[in-house]
Amino acid sequence: AKRARSEDKAKGAESRSDDKDADAKQSSQKECKGRSNKKEDSKLQNVQRPLEVPKEKLHSVVLEEVKEELSADELFEKKKAQLAELGMAMLEDPESNIRSLNDLLIICNDTDQRVVKLAIMSLLAVFRDIIPSYRIRQLTEKELAVEVSKEVKKTRYYEYTLIRSYKAYLQKLISLEKQPYFYLVAVRCLCSLLDAAPHFNHRESLLASVVKNLSSSNDVARKLCSEAIRSLFRNEGKHRGEATVEAVRLVSASVKLNDCQLHPDVVEVCLSLKFDEDLGKDESKEEKLKPKKNKRYQNRDVTKPSEKKKIKKELLSKARQEVHADLRAVSFTLDPKEKKMIQRETLAALFETYFRILKHSMNTSNSRYKATSVFPGGSHPLLAPCLEGLGKFSHLIDLDFMSELIACLKKLSGYTDHQGEIPPDNTLSVSERLQCCIVAFKVWRSNLEALNVDLQDFFVQFYNLILEYRPDRDHGEVLADALKTLLWEGKQQDMLRAAAFIKRLATFALSFGSTEAIAALITLRHLLQKNTKCRNMLENDAGGGSLSSLVAKYDPEAKDPYLSGALATVLWELSLLQKHHDETVSGMASNILSMANLNATQNPVQLSSSNPLEAYKDLSMGRELSKPTHKVSQTLKCKRKRRSKEFVALSTDVLEKADCTVGEDELREKLQSHFAVLRGISENERLRTELNHALSSINMYKEYKKQKKASKKSKKAAKA
Amino acid sequence: MAKKLGKKARKFAHKHLQGGAKRSRKLRSQFNRRTRKDGKGREDDNRLNGDGGSEETRRNDPTMNMNDDVATLANCLEFPEDENELDGDLSDSDGYLSEDPECMYYSDSDDDNVLKECIVQDDLDEQNNEMRLAVEKQKRKLKKLLDKDPKFANFLEKWQLELVNFESKEDSDEQDEMDSVDNGVDSGDKDPPSDKILTSKTISEWCQLVLDEPKAPALRNLLNAFRDACQFGLNSNSLSMQRLQSTEVFYQIISFVLSKTDNIFRALLEISDDDKGKLMNQRNGKKWQDIEPLIKSYLRNSLDLISQLTDNQILTYVLTRLRTSAVYFSAYPSTSRRLLKMLVRLWASGDQNLSLSSFLMIREVASLLPDCLDFCLTKTYNAYLSSSKIVDNRNIENIDFILNCLVELYSLDIQKAGERAVISVGQLSAILRQASKTKGKEDLLKIDNWQYINCINLWVRFICVNYKDCHNLHLLFSSVVQIIRGVAHLLPGMRYLPLRLKLAQMLNELSNCSQMFFPVPSLIFGSLEFRETPQKEQTEKGKTHFSSILKVPRNMLKSRDFQEQCVLSAIEVLSAHFFQWSYHVSFPEVATIPLILLKRLQEQTTIESLRRPLKRMIDQVSENRDFVQRKREVVSFSPNDASSVESFLQEEEMNGGASFTQFYASVAKSRQSRGRKLV
Repeated sequence: AKRARSEDKAKGAESRSDDKDADAKQSSQKECKGRSNKKEDSKLQNVQRPLEVPKEKLHSVVLEEVKEELSADELFEKKKAQLAELGMAMLEDPESNIRSLNDLLIICNDTDQRVVKLAIMSLLAVFRDIIPSYRIRQLTEKELAVEVSKEVKKTRYYEYTLIRSYKAYLQKLISLEKQPYFYLVAVRCLCSLLDAAPHFNHRESLLASVVKNLSSSNDVARKLCSEAIRSLFRNEGKHRGEATVEAVRLVSASVKLNDCQLHPDVVEVCLSLKFDEDLGKDESKEEKLKPKKNKRYQNRDVTKPSEKKKIKKELLSKARQEVHADLRAVSFTLDPKEKKMIQRETLAALFETYFRILKHSMNTSNSRYKATSVFPGGSHPLLAPCLEGLGKFSHLIDLDFMSELIACLKKLSGYTDHQGEIPPDNTLSVSERLQCCIVAFKVWRSNLEALNVDLQDFFVQFYNLILEYRPDRDHGEVLADALKTLLWEGKQQDMLRAAAFIKRLATFALSFGSTEAIAALITLRHLLQKNTKCRNMLENDAGGGSLSSLVAKYDPEAKDPYLSGALATVLWELSLLQKHHDETVSGMASNILSMANLNATQNPVQLSSSNPLEAYKDLSMGRELSKPTHKVSQTLKCKRKRRSKEFVALSTDVLEKADCTVGEDELREKLQSHFAVLRGISENERLRTELNHALSSINMYKEYKKQKKASKKSKKAAKA
Repeated sequence: MAKKLGKKARKFAHKHLQGGAKRSRKLRSQFNRRTRKDGKGREDDNRLNGDGGSEETRRNDPTMNMNDDVATLANCLEFPEDENELDGDLSDSDGYLSEDPECMYYSDSDDDNVLKECIVQDDLDEQNNEMRLAVEKQKRKLKKLLDKDPKFANFLEKWQLELVNFESKEDSDEQDEMDSVDNGVDSGDKDPPSDKILTSKTISEWCQLVLDEPKAPALRNLLNAFRDACQFGLNSNSLSMQRLQSTEVFYQIISFVLSKTDNIFRALLEISDDDKGKLMNQRNGKKWQDIEPLIKSYLRNSLDLISQLTDNQILTYVLTRLRTSAVYFSAYPSTSRRLLKMLVRLWASGDQNLSLSSFLMIREVASLLPDCLDFCLTKTYNAYLSSSKIVDNRNIENIDFILNCLVELYSLDIQKAGERAVISVGQLSAILRQASKTKGKEDLLKIDNWQYINCINLWVRFICVNYKDCHNLHLLFSSVVQIIRGVAHLLPGMRYLPLRLKLAQMLNELSNCSQMFFPVPSLIFGSLEFRETPQKEQTEKGKTHFSSILKVPRNMLKSRDFQEQCVLSAIEVLSAHFFQWSYHVSFPEVATIPLILLKRLQEQTTIESLRRPLKRMIDQVSENRDFVQRKREVVSFSPNDASSVESFLQEEEMNGGASFTQFYASVAKSRQSRGRKLV
């Protein structure tokens, strides 16, 4: 019955399409309409039969079109079923059904796009399932020459087919990726494959394609790819880290190729890289071969890897090596040496990328190079993730690069040696420049502060950057982070510098929102705690006392913290901050002011132990708004009763206007006209009803006549 | 009931007369120039027509808007209204008073020409005349037919009888819905209403009688006449149509009753001022019993009059007159409610004087009748929200005025208002939180609109006015501050600078009333820095003042005009902020960062017109900074000495002699004039 129905449908569809054709191809239709109709009738009985070859060419064209249209849906259904069948068979018994892979691949070339989509999706499912957990090795000629058992032959055939079709599938995906219709599906498949089989053959092309799409303009595709790469980095066990190196190298190459004009996601994925801290440290230590001052490292027994390797190489015979390689191929255990090597290579590629980005930003920022970038983040889309990465992996940076890196960062942070002139219009944003400062400090600190690098200039730069901060434009978190890294975490500061920062932060807190203010105040308090001499600033000590510096008068606009003369001022700001609408800020201000009465060794009660960054995040608007609302249930009470005649909001001159009255004449005129209109309206209404009445009465006359006639007739009839 | 009829009349006017209200204005002018029918007069008429028309549409706007806001914010912000109200107090009778037969009716000797005088040259009357002719013609035709066939008369009679029956059946259905006024006419009083024609002379005589002796029975007659005047035109068959024939009489009645009755009642009741207690005490007394019907009739018919009138000026007049009698309304709560409903409509109408007088009336009634206060608060709040939906250069002052009125009303009873404030602020906060959570475009649009901003403004103003008198306002205060900060946080960017300036103004207001410190500059730094150089103005047409927009259109961002307005508005806001702390010991530090930015802007700006105001601002701020610095160099207290900090420069502040005070005054003044120019 179903079939019959579908045929009915097909009939309807055909007749409809026939009409359409008639419009399109009138000339051809004219000749062969009769015949074609006949033919079609015969065909109707057997729609699914393969194409017949009609005798006439014209005829056949028409027929084919009709047929295509009507059977497209059915064909689709049929192919879907076929796909499902093949797929199920593959999953059930891959060994014996390995040939079906070919069939599936053939379907991938179907003309119906929907079918292609389905086919590649089912192939994905099949491959994900049947790909073995080892890499298939190409057979050598020697091996091929040797007679093997039937079993082995079968396995070889299986592996051979699998690899061949996998390759074909990948090629198909990569070619489909270029078509907009298939783009997302193809990318999804590629990412899924990378996730499932990073160890398998043809990883290179897979990786290359995914890395390429990291910078896609399509948000969904980009997200898929970055997720795939991240999982690749996270689950190194799947591929023993080899894929990681390759991926990082590919990223590096693509950054180089595109001259740093890529989407930030490309570099951001590297933040998910994991390095074994110990390995990394050992490695760096071994490589640098520098005398270790730190005691922690002296106790460790270290043998040089090169020697180890040599000995090993000597010891191992060729045959054993082969066996070893075979073993390795199936097992995923890595010896630390190899792991080290892989990490080293990864790091090398990673830092190459980072330095390239830094160099690029430096060159362009000086030449005022304005790229019309399509990616977020201004003309240096990659700088922000790069700086973030440098900060994160700062402990792994080779010391040899250190001074160069710091110089680079200094330049990027906008610092110039000539104090007088206005710094060149840097294309880097304030956030980025702040980040440069943060990274410099992180690098310095994570390398045990052993570096003989003068970070003084970064303080100067930061001192000026504080004023450039704008709440909407820049990320407050970066500022808070900078406060934390540069000032809060530091040890004892130079007194002059600390004083300058204290004053600036207090002033800053007056002009910016409460979130920024609290971060600044926490830093300020910390500075006061560490630098007890600066507490003099809390008191109005005429003349500045013995601590007055070279500069007697405070200059709030000074560019150099050492020359600002901040020690000579009083922190009057705090008295106003005590009136701050935000209780946290006002409380903190009072807390700081209470320090004035304490000894140098005493510290006031800690309000909170959080650092500036945490405090900033705690108080930020987003978090504030996500807190549950507390119900305001209490009723308001007024201290004094208001009299009804008293006005509170309206000004008196407005109220005075209320008493102006209309002139008598005008009033009379207006009232009279109002009346006249009303009268006119009612008069009109009255006349209207009268008129209607009269008219209908006249109309009734006709009715009356009719009735009269009828009655006459009836009377006549009665008479008759 | 009367409103219903009023609607009916209006509907009729709309259907048949192409805008009856319009004509009322037209008539006014034609009345004057009846004698000269030259082209000039007609031209003037057209102009008047246009004016009247636009005024009318604008007045109707708010009420129309109220009905069709389905998708707008109003739904989530408005207070729910309780629509089923009773009007039982006065509607039991239509206010007809039995008359004293001793009162004479005089017939005017010159009555004939009064009638003639009133035939106004107008297309309505032309139409009437035409119709009159047609009626005569048809009647003649009918008569001919009747003459021809006498039997037809019988037939016609029968048919008419049928028709009447049918109509009365239909009418009875309708009548069920209506109130009892019509029934009152027939059965309410012992005596049938008088149907004698009221003449000018009669009225004058009565007026004289009443003025001489308040207790005179003529008062009843006059009030009856007033009733007829007020109900004139409500339904065409009523007697009032026949009793009033001349426009002069109409005017006489209305003006006399409105201006004199209140005093007469007071004299009769022997109360002098608006002492409600006294009135209430008297409610059971003999005097009240005697006079109550009169008062009832007066109030009721006044309501009818208000609902009938279309001219703003007359309405203002009526309301001003009626305000003195507000105390009587307090005796009839549900009638007051009806009155309030009308008043709220008029209040939100947009005409300044009418709005003011209706507001004063609302306030009077609401303060006398606490039961009605809730009703008032809801109605007015909703009316405010719906009228503040769209803000442009024209209505900005009006919205501000309405806002002030609303604050005034809410300040009458802090406790009740506080409950509402908490609810409303809770709604605002919930919307904000939702938007902050999802960051969705639709949710953000709920914040980025005038209703939301105006609603915040309302509560800011309310808090400011009441901050000093209320000791537990701070919870509401802090949630409003949080909302303001949240809005600024969620809508960043240059395009929202106008909104930001508005928020900064609110913060200034709050800061002013609470004496708390708000870091206002952080909101407006954006308007002091421009990356792009301004472009030449393409069109002058696109000029809009900042006060009437929230978001700057994209094409305006780079325009000169935009940058100019940005800086000028920022100077205004900043100077208000500085002014508040201009005598504080840490003023130099308050000014430090903004001053650096202002100086930089002055150096970099390419807009010549900005240089002067910028320089003036910088000079004034620096001067004040130096002044405070000088003063504080000689003091010996430390920042933690709160009382000394408090008293620093107190004297100077009292005197207000510092130049910055004067500067601020001038800035505020120039701002007002600038605002007015654009309006």
